[in-house]
Amino acid sequence: MEPKLPRGSRITRVVLAVGVGSLVSNPAAAHTGTGLPGGFVSGFVHPFSGLDHLLAMVSVGLWGAFLGRPLIYVLPVVFPAMMVVGAIMGMFVVPLPPVEIGIALSVLVLGSCIALSVRAPVWAACLIVAVFAVFHGYAHGKELPSAADPISYSAGFVLATGLLHVSGICLGLLNNRPNGVIATRSVGAGIAALGVWFFDQAIGT
Amino acid sequence: MRGGVVPPALLFAALGLALAFAPRAAWAPSLLALFVTLCSFTFLPVPPGWLEGVFLGCWISVIATAASVHLVRGLGARLAFALSVNVGVWASAVISVSGSRLDLLKALPFVLIFLPASWVVARNASIPVKVVSSWVIAVAVLAATLQLLPVTPGYLPDHLE
Repeated sequence: MEPKLPRGSRITRVVLAVGVGSLVSNPAAAHTGTGLPGGFVSGFVHPFSGLDHLLAMVSVGLWGAFLGRPLIYVLPVVFPAMMVVGAIMGMFVVPLPPVEIGIALSVLVLGSCIALSVRAPVWAACLIVAVFAVFHGYAHGKELPSAADPISYSAGFVLATGLLHVSGICLGLLNNRPNGVIATRSVGAGIAALGVWFFDQAIGT
Repeated sequence: MRGGVVPPALLFAALGLALAFAPRAAWAPSLLALFVTLCSFTFLPVPPGWLEGVFLGCWISVIATAASVHLVRGLGARLAFALSVNVGVWASAVISVSGSRLDLLKALPFVLIFLPASWVVARNASIPVKVVSSWVIAVAVLAATLQLLPVTPGYLPDHLE
């Protein structure tokens, strides 16, 4: 007979499984909505297609989980809201500092915040995430008007972004387990290391 | 393309999220009002020249409806009723100018998001519902902005086609 796990432990396992599953799985390629490029599936897949974007979005959720309430839910609201601001700037081609450098820095800084377990005040965490969200939104906003079905594309894109934040939060639940903080901080260090590589690539281009 | 299922689906999803914060007694009248409004207005012809205005009204309604989850005292029965009528009018109008009634039927189940959302809200965990409503607002703001762009959107043929 299997030992009965406590309820909290079982819930944590399920949430972790969903989080890790979201990270490693490929989204379903059925029901594209329009069948044209630039529909819901294209928008949904897009954040998964670039490792820099993907890591930054997971990092936002993971850092929020580290910081606890209220940032655990404020950061996943701030990021899409400011990403929209960045996307609008991208659509109107408002000049910004090199976007690729901003995106690489977001991976580096957010990964470092997790690795070093930085306990930023609410305003500072929101400001950091908001600034980087503008760069991510800008990069995607520039290409949005050319999508054949931009509304479905943005719906898929925003949904995928939100799910990546949720994946990060789920990953952050590891903090409640023995040695979990070491594991999540190690993940942060890995993300920061990749951020250094992205930064080097961005400067090189 | 910008019509089809997605605009009415976002309207209905926003309404469903808003209804999660309304008293239970308001659910049946609001859903009935939505159904009656849809049945009444779907058959009214909308001039094709109103297309831009109809879509802008649709996105403003999505934003206003989804933002109502942040009302401090929750959604009153009267406001829930008014939002349902408003959503019904704009969903019908969007379908009339760019879509089919089948799209409306496909989108309608999105209003049922109020069932899981209200279950979550009843357990003093309204934050996930508010986070999802912020995603809906983000999509609506992007869609509304696309109308104001000085470029040819991807759903229209440009000078090369």
